[in-house]
Amino acid sequence: MNRFRRALKNKQLVIGSIIALVIVVLGIFGPAIFGDYAKQDLLRGHKPLGTSGAFFGTDALGRSLAARATFGIRISLLVAISVTGLAMVLGTIIGLIAGYVKGVIDGVISLLIDFIWGFPLILVAVLAAASIGSGLLPVIFAVGLVNTVAIARVVRGEVLGISEKDFVVAAKAGGYSTMRIITKHIAPNVIPVALVLSSYYVAVAIIAEAALSFVGLGAQPPLPSLGQMVSEGRNYMRLNHWESTIPGVIIFAMVLSVSLIGDGLRDLLDPRLRTALERARVK
Amino acid sequence: MRSLLKTVVLTLLLLLASSFAVFAGIRLSGGDVTAARLPASATAADRQLFRHQMGLDQPIFKQYSTYMGDLFRGDLGNSLTNNAKISALAVDKIKNSLILGATSMLLVFGIGIPLGMIASLKRNSWVDTGITSASVAGMAVPNFWLALIAIYLFSTRLGWLPSAGQGGIKYLVLPAFVLSAEGIALTVRMTRSAMLDNLNQDFVRTLRAAGLSERRIYFKHVLRNSMLPIISLAGLRVGQIVGYALVVETIFGWPGVGQILVNAVLRRDYPVVQFFALLLVLVVTLGNLAASIGYTLANPKLRK
Repeated sequence: MNRFRRALKNKQLVIGSIIALVIVVLGIFGPAIFGDYAKQDLLRGHKPLGTSGAFFGTDALGRSLAARATFGIRISLLVAISVTGLAMVLGTIIGLIAGYVKGVIDGVISLLIDFIWGFPLILVAVLAAASIGSGLLPVIFAVGLVNTVAIARVVRGEVLGISEKDFVVAAKAGGYSTMRIITKHIAPNVIPVALVLSSYYVAVAIIAEAALSFVGLGAQPPLPSLGQMVSEGRNYMRLNHWESTIPGVIIFAMVLSVSLIGDGLRDLLDPRLRTALERARVK
Repeated sequence: MRSLLKTVVLTLLLLLASSFAVFAGIRLSGGDVTAARLPASATAADRQLFRHQMGLDQPIFKQYSTYMGDLFRGDLGNSLTNNAKISALAVDKIKNSLILGATSMLLVFGIGIPLGMIASLKRNSWVDTGITSASVAGMAVPNFWLALIAIYLFSTRLGWLPSAGQGGIKYLVLPAFVLSAEGIALTVRMTRSAMLDNLNQDFVRTLRAAGLSERRIYFKHVLRNSMLPIISLAGLRVGQIVGYALVVETIFGWPGVGQILVNAVLRRDYPVVQFFALLLVLVVTLGNLAASIGYTLANPKLRK
């Protein structure tokens, strides 16, 4: 209860959560409310915001911007959250193993981690698109790889520190199994860090998906995505700027809400963990 | 020092491995390279012959060693779409990207550090709140959208700056600012928190007790201590700028490495993709290596 009240007092967390809630609701119910995202009407193209029958107006082909944008939210969130979620689980496991076992295994893992960590997500996604072709698959691959590595890196660092602590040494001396020490004594101390960090990486993933779709290497038409909508709309900026403003504002709001939630959660954490997070965000 | 040497050697080995991975990924991909050059009426035998003449039917390790051999002799092959010599293209593209990248790096530190210092000096005032909020927004706004807003505002509406292309310094302003936006925001954030951290350290109290002026403590001692991690990690900014340049160069029609790589991937022009992909992998790896060396040298605890 106390923790809940503290969370409610945290402005960043509250504002971020409210924006996130609105976006998630739009993503879940929007496509059902606003109808078919692919339905064209060439005579009703370039309608501005507030046109009757099409809430956000229409694009060049007369398709409903509201239907397309809300479906785009769904794709963006699906890719960003599910893949980062998976990355969090994998990254935490890899980090726990490397940090606790040490030795050669750790040497190999951390070498790979350091090497991959430095690569920008968008470059990895473009390289993946160069070999497996355009679409959501290279985005998913790149987000998965880079985020797993980034989370493993921080978790490993935390585990190195924690495994020197008295309570772990005592547990070892008490003859507990390695598995039990990792799951009962070490993991609970690193999972909050991995969680907060993941919220930042969701933001990075949203941006990468949008950017890749923007240049044409991400989600392929007819599947709508926010980045692709911004890109299509830019040719009609003078005619009806809403075609790229609406998806642009949505991407901005999504990233902002996730970053605010991340910042808010960080402040609720143990101060010692905050420095680890700051260090992780230098990229 | 010995651990640093080990890092350098291992990184170079990983660079070799990843160059092979990228090379193999591009060559072994399902996409049909013959589609780019041969007409739709070409028979299966024609396509097979073309692949044979291009050396694409050889084992991948053989292809890799041939390619690397040619690369070191300066022969980068030709583009599939317009037959241009890649070595002739590369010089210009690299030069353009260097101009844009270097300008962005200057902006990242030249704007980010002073703003971060001002925010830390005026801590908790409206100036600080303004700078901090702007940096949160700067990290959240996707740069391709920022680019469109900037184009709409400064070139479509106000007509001050050109929206795309390359020429004098006027053409550099918008892409350089957009490319550096996130780096500036991050540098502001890092500078502010490092300055505040250092102001609470014992050495500041000691210097105050010794009678040094606040100004001297702030600009000489605290600033120097705060800058070390930020400057030493500059190599990481290289990777970030390379990543975003792929998008920003494409939007502004800036004829650099990022633009040509993205276009080549879209057209499946694999010889072009291959060279520029390998080039960027090299640049990013060297940037990261520089960061890890810089960080080790700047931190006496790690310097053994």
